[in-house]
Amino acid sequence: MTNYDKLRELIQDILLLEPGEYSLGLGRGDVPTWDSLAVVSIAVGLDETFGQHPSPDEATGLKSVADIVAFLESRGLSFSD
Amino acid sequence: MTEADSRTAAARRPLCWSPRELADADLGAVVVVGSPPRAPRIAGSLRCPWVADLNQLPQDLDTLVVVGGGRRIDQAKWWRVQHRPGLRLVAIATIWGSGAENSPIAVLDHDGVKEIHLGEQYLPDVRCTFPEFAQEIPLSLARSGCGDVWTHALEGFLSPLADRPLREELAALIGDLLGLPIGRDPRWFEYSALACAAQARSSVGLVHGIAHQLEAPLRANQADGNWGHAALCSLFIYPVMCFNRQGSDRFATLAAAFGLDADGLLAHLSTLFDPVGYDRALPELRRHWAETLRDPSTRLNSVLVRPGALDYFDRRVFA
Repeated sequence: MTNYDKLRELIQDILLLEPGEYSLGLGRGDVPTWDSLAVVSIAVGLDETFGQHPSPDEATGLKSVADIVAFLESRGLSFSD
Repeated sequence: MTEADSRTAAARRPLCWSPRELADADLGAVVVVGSPPRAPRIAGSLRCPWVADLNQLPQDLDTLVVVGGGRRIDQAKWWRVQHRPGLRLVAIATIWGSGAENSPIAVLDHDGVKEIHLGEQYLPDVRCTFPEFAQEIPLSLARSGCGDVWTHALEGFLSPLADRPLREELAALIGDLLGLPIGRDPRWFEYSALACAAQARSSVGLVHGIAHQLEAPLRANQADGNWGHAALCSLFIYPVMCFNRQGSDRFATLAAAFGLDADGLLAHLSTLFDPVGYDRALPELRRHWAETLRDPSTRLNSVLVRPGALDYFDRRVFA
């Protein structure tokens, strides 16, 4: 499974998305489940799935799937495949 | 309420009085509210009136002494804020578990729908423990209360919102709990108050998410069972902590970092597990899994709870 697939599954599970709702452009205002609790869940999920735990400030700054990809790439993970 | 407000509320604490200090205090015009036999007994010792219901209170009042479990104490906390903000409130718990007497949270139950209020205005001014109440608690309720205390301590400790000082505090408390037998022991009153107050500074987790979502349907569909909040916490703490342990290394890492034995903890919690009760509750967990996933407590669990996690509980992987 690619990092992209892992991230898609993670975000779908945390935000309880319907099929087709997920995209790289998905952001905080797009689904009601992306609230302050989801920020915590995403931080926990990134740690469990990728071994990368954002600091509280970093977690708050993750406002879209693209932001999360950029954060993980900054930690050395590849999303090019 | 902001997070800062919440932390301020959690940092303040009610005074802790002994029964002697309560009897000697100048309480002014005082009334005791609560159910028999304990509330009228305390009213007798304070030589003051007793009422069964908050709506029966007189207007001219300086101190309200509420005697009861978490639901009764939370009602009084909320009632004071709404109707008599200047009133002194003394909370006397008749059972451990909720820690309502030491918490800035007031949970109201509207036919199974929980309404949660948080703020320092909900803190009682004084909490008072009557150790002799411990022997009057039915054993099954006492055990459930122990499970509730354990749940507050462990979920607060493991919470992603807990900081290091809080974890140090809760690890010490958990160490003490390991030496405390499950059952009737008056020391549970104090640990209940401490665990609840500490947990209010972080969060609870999946055990509470399940309890919140299953309590009303279980009460409605299995009226012959004891399906209170504490009973559900007691029933699910062992399965959920096993789930947390296998779900990531967070449980083991935190336990080790704070001097706790993860295996010993789980072995201790297994004594709370009731397989018969679990079998009865499981169909409702399946039915209400979607709501459980959305519960705010579940979403702050130490390990991410994904939709497929139901399978872990369904197949009793922990057993």
